[in-house]
Amino acid sequence: MSRRYLLIKVCSTAAVTGEQFTQALTASILKYFGEVGLSRINPKLIRFDSDESKAIVAYAKDHAGEMQAALALICQIGDSEVSTLPLKASGTIKGLGKRS
Amino acid sequence: MKDQLVLLRNYFLDSGLEVFLRADLTCSKREDLLKLLRRFRSAFDIISVKCTNHNIALVAARDRRVDLIFFDSARRNVWFDHSIANVSNATLELNTSTLFATSDHLTLTKLMKDVNTAQQHKVDTIISSGCTSPFLVKAPTQLSAIGMILGLSKGEALNSVSVVPSRIVGKNVERRSRNYIEEGVKVVTRKD
Repeated sequence: MSRRYLLIKVCSTAAVTGEQFTQALTASILKYFGEVGLSRINPKLIRFDSDESKAIVAYAKDHAGEMQAALALICQIGDSEVSTLPLKASGTIKGLGKRS
Repeated sequence: MKDQLVLLRNYFLDSGLEVFLRADLTCSKREDLLKLLRRFRSAFDIISVKCTNHNIALVAARDRRVDLIFFDSARRNVWFDHSIANVSNATLELNTSTLFATSDHLTLTKLMKDVNTAQQHKVDTIISSGCTSPFLVKAPTQLSAIGMILGLSKGEALNSVSVVPSRIVGKNVERRSRNYIEEGVKVVTRKD
């Protein structure tokens, strides 16, 4: 199964850790697509830069739409309001390099 | 109020941003809606109506002065049913912010039903964030991805955040220009 990589800007009212972001993303996919959707999208946090609030997430190439929707539907992590903004998608992590 | 709107528009124009003003009308009686439409249609680029009951939804859908109609998905007494879709001249707006307001699946189900009805009657749909806070603002690609969850095809979802909104704005800008007389009639040249 080929993978794509997405560079995401995470805007929040309080600092967010990579673990919290992963939990929120997993919860969002589970809520809207279920266990089957989660295994199909197969998201994996590759890198999380808490200083710049940017994340790189890998996902299955055929499920880009679901991945984008799940990210858009994250509105809260813990007590802080959160907004995610996809900056760039690429087939390689190196391809995201210029903006990460 | 018109002066304030002109000021606001010029403020953004100075920063290089083109602004289109929108008014959301909410009322529960037909007479009130017609009164509001008479008052605000000429001042705003986009007029949308929040359908609080079936009667208002029918009037708003029929009236050609209304550009958008939207429903509060958290309310169960009114939805975009076939009788409204059948007479609709307006575009159906789907607000994704309603998905965040409630935690149950019923809101999602209701939005999916609305999309299905709109597709059956070939009513245009637009997807908007309906945001009340900066954190609820979504990118167009994200909104179209949510549209695909709701049952729109990929093409329809992309159109709902690009082609359909720009068509509505373009049509209204033309309508509000001084050369516009009525539908199908406009001034081509003017002798000064």
